[in-house]
Amino acid sequence: MIGLSHYLILAAILFAIGIVGVIRRKNLLMLFFATEIMLNAANIAFAAISSYTGDLGGQMFAFFIIAVAASEVAVGLGLLILIYRKYGTLDLDNFTMLKG
Amino acid sequence: MEGLVYTALFAPLAGSLFAALFGMRPKTLLTGVVTSLLLLVSFIASTALLWHVMHVGPVHVKLMDWIVAGDMSIPFGFNVDQVTAVMMTVVTLVSTVVHIYSNGYMEHDKGFNRFFSYLSAFVFSMLVLVMSDNFLGLFIGWEGVGVCSWLLIGFWYHKPDVTRDENPSISPSWAANEAFIMNRIADLGMLIGIFLIYWNVGSLQYDAVFAAVPHLSHALLVAIGVFLFIGAMGKSAQFPLHTWLADAMEGPTPVSALIHAATMVTAGVYLVIRAHPLYSAVPGVGYFVAVVGTFVAIFAASMALVNRDLKRIIAYSTLSQLGYMFAAAGLGAYWVALFHLAAHAFFKALLFLGAGNVMHAMHDELDIFKMGGLKKVMKWTYIYMGVASLALAGIWPFAGFYSKDTILEVAFNEHTYGIWFVLWLTAGLTAFYSFRLVFLAFWSDERYKCYGFHPHEVQRYVLWAMFPLGLLAVIFGWYKEEFVDFVTGLLPAYEVSEHTHHMLPILVTVTLAIAIGGIVVAYVMYHKRLKRSEKVEASLPYRILYNQYYIPILYEKVFAKPYAELSDIAWKEIDLQVVDATVDGIAKVVEESGDATRRMQSGNLSDYLKWMAGGAIALAILAVIVVANG
Amino acid sequence: MENILSVLIFFPLVAALLGFLVKPQSIRAYGITVAAIEFVLTLWLWMSFDASDGGFQFIEFFPLVSSFGINYYLGVDGISLFIVVMTALMTLLGIVTLGEVKKLKNMIISLLFLEVAMVGVFVSLDAIVFYLFWEFSLVPMLYIIGYWGGEKRLYAAIKFFLYTFAGSLIMLVGMLYVAYVYHEVTGNWSFSLTDWYALVLPISVQKWLFWAFFLGFAIKVPMFPFHTWLPYAHGQAPTIGSVILAAVLLKMGTYGFVRFSLPMFPDASVAYILPVGVIAIIMIIYTAMVAYAQKDMKQVVAYSSISHMGVIVLGTFAMNPEGIAGSVFLMLSHGIVSGALFLLVGVIYDRRHTKLMSEFGGLAAVMPKYALIFGIMLMASVGLPLTIGFVGEYLSLAGFFKVSPVMTALGGFSVILGAVYMLSLYKKSFFGPVTKEENKVLPDLNGRELAALVPLAAIVVWLGVYPKPVLGPIDTSVKALVQFMDTKAQTPEAKRVIHVSKSTKEAK
Repeated sequence: MIGLSHYLILAAILFAIGIVGVIRRKNLLMLFFATEIMLNAANIAFAAISSYTGDLGGQMFAFFIIAVAASEVAVGLGLLILIYRKYGTLDLDNFTMLKG
Repeated sequence: MEGLVYTALFAPLAGSLFAALFGMRPKTLLTGVVTSLLLLVSFIASTALLWHVMHVGPVHVKLMDWIVAGDMSIPFGFNVDQVTAVMMTVVTLVSTVVHIYSNGYMEHDKGFNRFFSYLSAFVFSMLVLVMSDNFLGLFIGWEGVGVCSWLLIGFWYHKPDVTRDENPSISPSWAANEAFIMNRIADLGMLIGIFLIYWNVGSLQYDAVFAAVPHLSHALLVAIGVFLFIGAMGKSAQFPLHTWLADAMEGPTPVSALIHAATMVTAGVYLVIRAHPLYSAVPGVGYFVAVVGTFVAIFAASMALVNRDLKRIIAYSTLSQLGYMFAAAGLGAYWVALFHLAAHAFFKALLFLGAGNVMHAMHDELDIFKMGGLKKVMKWTYIYMGVASLALAGIWPFAGFYSKDTILEVAFNEHTYGIWFVLWLTAGLTAFYSFRLVFLAFWSDERYKCYGFHPHEVQRYVLWAMFPLGLLAVIFGWYKEEFVDFVTGLLPAYEVSEHTHHMLPILVTVTLAIAIGGIVVAYVMYHKRLKRSEKVEASLPYRILYNQYYIPILYEKVFAKPYAELSDIAWKEIDLQVVDATVDGIAKVVEESGDATRRMQSGNLSDYLKWMAGGAIALAILAVIVVANG
Repeated sequence: MENILSVLIFFPLVAALLGFLVKPQSIRAYGITVAAIEFVLTLWLWMSFDASDGGFQFIEFFPLVSSFGINYYLGVDGISLFIVVMTALMTLLGIVTLGEVKKLKNMIISLLFLEVAMVGVFVSLDAIVFYLFWEFSLVPMLYIIGYWGGEKRLYAAIKFFLYTFAGSLIMLVGMLYVAYVYHEVTGNWSFSLTDWYALVLPISVQKWLFWAFFLGFAIKVPMFPFHTWLPYAHGQAPTIGSVILAAVLLKMGTYGFVRFSLPMFPDASVAYILPVGVIAIIMIIYTAMVAYAQKDMKQVVAYSSISHMGVIVLGTFAMNPEGIAGSVFLMLSHGIVSGALFLLVGVIYDRRHTKLMSEFGGLAAVMPKYALIFGIMLMASVGLPLTIGFVGEYLSLAGFFKVSPVMTALGGFSVILGAVYMLSLYKKSFFGPVTKEENKVLPDLNGRELAALVPLAAIVVWLGVYPKPVLGPIDTSVKALVQFMDTKAQTPEAKRVIHVSKSTKEAK
């Protein structure tokens, strides 16, 4: 029987994958993918706990996150394209304008 | 009567303000005349008050409240009783004479108007001092005379500082500051005395304080007596706060006559007389006062023996006579102290004014070794100074004889034979140095000719102005009985014992003998010509006396210099190097730790993400630990 | 006028904002007019003040954030009234003496903003409002020092800002904690001082809070060893900056002690008389020595300020009406005298562009009016009777004598050492021959300078001879304060040390 803990473990694994991706990858596009994975990990956890407790709030929140993520991707990809046009690369190591 | 009190008090202030209006303009004769006239008004009012007190009784007026805070209520209140009336009359008389005299003396000075403004302001302060009915009011006058003294000593402020060898007073402005600061040291003592009185009596009014004396503990009375006397020591230039008085001779001579001989310096004596119920209750403190006074009497007289500076000699003699007054007051003979104070005011002011005439004639030359034979050209000045010196030496029938002799009787009567002996010896020294001055300046060979001076007598009206002082220097002593009757209305009568009474003829003879002896020695040594001996002048005792026991140099080395150096260390070593450096150090730690952690901010997004992930993990671990423990 | 206090705060604020629209050539007249109206308003406040009432008057109250108990709560009593009057006076005279400076318009607008903050501090009865004005006062001052200052102006300005700011933050924490305790005890939030006064705090809490507030005030005063920002600030600030700084901003610290520490923490204040007194004595003696070592006139006056503030602190901690009334009076007199002294130093700096005493000498002959007014201020500074300086100094020392005669004797060195450094300054600059050629032709005070200095000299003499109009209301309020502290005190030590005047006792 697949219980709540299975979902949560899956969510944790996905989240870990996402974090590793965020830390390790240097390409901004890949970073985006990694964040999406993390968001979806959260969504799985939400949906699972919502179903487990019978509270629809969690599923509602998951939908909300999907919507936000979609708009974020739209804006983010637009920015990525602009950055690529301006600098000709998406490699993170080239962007150190905030260096203190 | 209120009108008279206020007239006496405020006429000098009005004069001062009037003269101040012209203070920055060139000489206007008007200021001198107006201030002198107003002083005369004040003198007449004072005399009227004296008469009133004598025949009707003391006057007490309250002008208005001054400081009212908490339980402290200090009014501007004025009380004219026997002691005050005497002081007022003496002060205004001498002041009037000095004002008129100054019209001649300061004739060619650029600061003529300014001078009269200061001088009248001084008289006002002095009157506040003697007329006030409470200790804080006295303190107003006390500080007021201090400031006027500062202004007047430093009157010729434009003179530069010179070395001590060239001029022992360095410069007028230096001497002025010295006087002010020395007095301030004493004033702190006096303030503490005032605080003690306030917190233990609850009032600073004389009558309330003296009424409370029997209820106060002995230790407290001793403390109050000592602290008030510290204040008196500053103003009356008693050892060890005495050095300023001789240096104060940098001021114009009328100032020396008025402030540093007749009036301000006697304020300390006045304070002790005024606080007599307090000092009577603690004879131990009184004895201490007497011992200090006696010591100063001989100490100052010894310095006068060898000095060559006309004014300094008289200044030391003032110190010495102040010592006599304190000796009398300390031994409980308050009226005797007051009597000597008044007599001294007359003959000492006269002596100084005479010295002023000499200075005028000699173009401000003060060295008596460069004078001689002046009696031919300055007959009247010679007579005045001769009279004053006779009075100072205590020769019958001049004023000083009566007062000084009584002091010696008191010392004998109290069985303080040590004090008696020292004062007796000092009487001889006094006679000697006074007549050394007279003979060297007015008799002997006319040395001034070698230096190209052309001395001449001063204006006639100036000489006339000095006349009242000359007269009083002669006759004041004759009214001793009346004086005693009058002031013992307030002060305790002092009666000598039977035994002393029997001894009186012997005492008087012995005292007169040593005084005449002093004069004779001076005559023998100096009446013909100035004899100088290299050997004597090179000897150690002579040099010690001539250099004022090296005390001014000692003070400079022990107090002034180290204080300056310590101040410099406090600023450069402590304030800048320690205190401020610590503050800057803390700022630097913050700045450098910021600099060190700046590297975190590499600008690289993935580095940030690593920090973020690390932080999140750390927080998660922390949360787990907290939850696990909680 | 019911809302006179709001008017006093908002009139300069509005005027400052409108000032941006005024043409640069007429800004001086505009500034003087505004400051003069403000001063007249404060005089009106004084005239309509009921001197027989020791409590707060002209109270204004309306809630700002009612859920947190933050209110717009204003009021004055005898303690704050005269500081407000003095603030307006010194601002007015400061603007009058302003010489030709760059960007005069910005200067005058800054001064008006500064006036808003200063008046606000002294009339606020709500801790948060007080704190806002307290911090806001830093901003115009930072600008004044940082823009019009001398060579090291940025260092001085930043040091001034950060140092006092750091202290105030600790004070803010203290305030928040008091509010928290108030909430714990009563269940309501309140930042009103009068509510806080009613709160009886446990001794241990008082002790902590005392030091939190102490740090904020001590840095402002400034007390040793937190004083080192002051010489830099004064050294670099333009004349007007120094005048306002010395006359008013420093008083915020000592005012804080009287307004917050004494009534809120009476037991802790009594318990810490010894350490505070020792610090005050160090201030008096040590900074007087440092002042004596200075070569720059302005630094002498700056360090002398610290020394005099030491006497004020002593008087404040005397715990009896004599001492506290004396210290409040001394705040005023020091404001006037040190303000005037800074103005006077500014006069000579304008002429010679140096403040070193060695550059002068014999000025009394060249500039007699200047020497006269300087002399009057000098005598007031050393505390001569019948000048304004004596009354406060005497009462402060007299008051503290009740607490500790020995410490008073040490503190009394102020009268000696004050004379030492001031007279030596006067001698070096004004006496002696005129040695420098360029000093021989210096012009004496001009009309504008006289217009500012003569009133100050008149006040110095007037309040020295007849301090009653000012001392009376101060005394009434201080008696009420001491009476309040006495009732609130818990420890036997505090009961013993706090000394209610006999007249108050009899009235009871």
